Amino acid sequence: MQQREEKQLDSALESIIQRVNDLKQSIAAMIFKLENEYETMNWPSFLDNYALISGQLTSLSKVMSHDKCPVLRNLTVLPLMLSPERDEQLAQTTEHRVTTFAHDLVPDYLRTKLEPLAETKMLQLENKAVGLQYDNAQKQIATYQKVVSHVWDIVSKAREEWEVESSSRGNTQQNSSVADTHLLVAAVGMGKGLKMNPNGQANPTSGGMMVAPSGRPGGAPGQGQIPPTTQAMNKAPSAIKTNIKSAAQMHPYGR
Amino acid sequence: MSAPGNAMDSLSAALKCNIIPNQEYLLQGSVLDQYVEVLLHRLRGLCDNVDSGPESFHDHELCFSLRIANTGATTPMSVFSLRVRRALDVSDTPYQLRYIGQQELGDKNRPTVVRSSIDMACSSTIVDFLTELGCRVDFEYIARGYMFRKGRMKITVSKIFKMGGNKPGETVEPISQSYLVELSVLAPSGQDAIAEDMRIFAEQLRPLVQLEKIDYKRLGNIM
Repeated sequence: MQQREEKQLDSALESIIQRVNDLKQSIAAMIFKLENEYETMNWPSFLDNYALISGQLTSLSKVMSHDKCPVLRNLTVLPLMLSPERDEQLAQTTEHRVTTFAHDLVPDYLRTKLEPLAETKMLQLENKAVGLQYDNAQKQIATYQKVVSHVWDIVSKAREEWEVESSSRGNTQQNSSVADTHLLVAAVGMGKGLKMNPNGQANPTSGGMMVAPSGRPGGAPGQGQIPPTTQAMNKAPSAIKTNIKSAAQMHPYGR
Repeated sequence: MSAPGNAMDSLSAALKCNIIPNQEYLLQGSVLDQYVEVLLHRLRGLCDNVDSGPESFHDHELCFSLRIANTGATTPMSVFSLRVRRALDVSDTPYQLRYIGQQELGDKNRPTVVRSSIDMACSSTIVDFLTELGCRVDFEYIARGYMFRKGRMKITVSKIFKMGGNKPGETVEPISQSYLVELSVLAPSGQDAIAEDMRIFAEQLRPLVQLEKIDYKRLGNIM
């Protein structure tokens, strides 16, 4: 009987130690990240770390509350020897955090009760609770419940409104129009709707004007090769310019 | 004569080393006028220049084209276009000359449009210079809006206006009821990782703005 209990204790302790070590490692990794990568670290990775730690805490508390786990509260740790000397083995097992097993440190490390300060505070509160009148307590509970339910009402109402709003927005509200996007991109990229001569009716006349100065020096030699619609639109101003020029040149000979 | 040679040498060396940011990664979208405030608010939260507020701009852009006839009757003539941009709200800023190449859409796995792009600052005489070269104004517009930065990314939210008369400064009219939204990065070629960052950033602006790869060729057919 005794042996079985001891075995159980051993296995429980082993799994607890393993969980605690995992926890320690992930906390150390997080501290390392905070200290060394605080410039590049982002929230998602920080929260990932946090989730990992909280998961490990949950599994630790699961192990401790397992049926097979003996009630640790009933066990005591008995310090056999205290010494102010440096203990190398202890330092090694604690990664140099605890170097001596001395009188001033042991009460803190082996503490199973709350700190004296916290303990007195708890005691005070418990006394206050005990000394409270039944009627008074009931009244306080009632008012408290009233306040809480009021807040609850406000929150749930706000949530309802928010949900209605977001669902209606998701269905009907449109913030951008694909047609407008295409219009704008085509305008900025290719000049759709921005060109000098947007209406097609002017094309034949300006196209006719283009023909006259075809022999002008520096004129684009390949004019005939491109479709007249685009060319006329782009070249219209130059055609006008050339016409004036050639007319000016002709005048002296006319006189 | 050695100086220009050296300049050319160092330019080609820089090109070889691939340090010139000559690739533009681009996503485009639009937002309706009534929601632009919401978008600006969100951008202010997401972008770097939080304290100074959004940077506004008011620019006039001229798109010049130069037609080069190819020898041989079968090949069509090539059109070469250059853009000149100047600020209307700030005087004594240089004009900007910009070449934008053919856009590459790539396959589905590529998150953004990529096109070659070369920018340079120049003086106001650039317009005369280009005209003398034989370039003609293809079209022009006025863009007014806000610019945001997020790391290397640039986000512009701008209203596009059509020029009313022949001269700038005359009545202008908006060409649509929406603001054009562009997300772009200039980088040396081969830095495709930035495109992924842009995709993630664009996700954060949904559903307010759908920033997408837009195929100009398909637009030409639709409209």
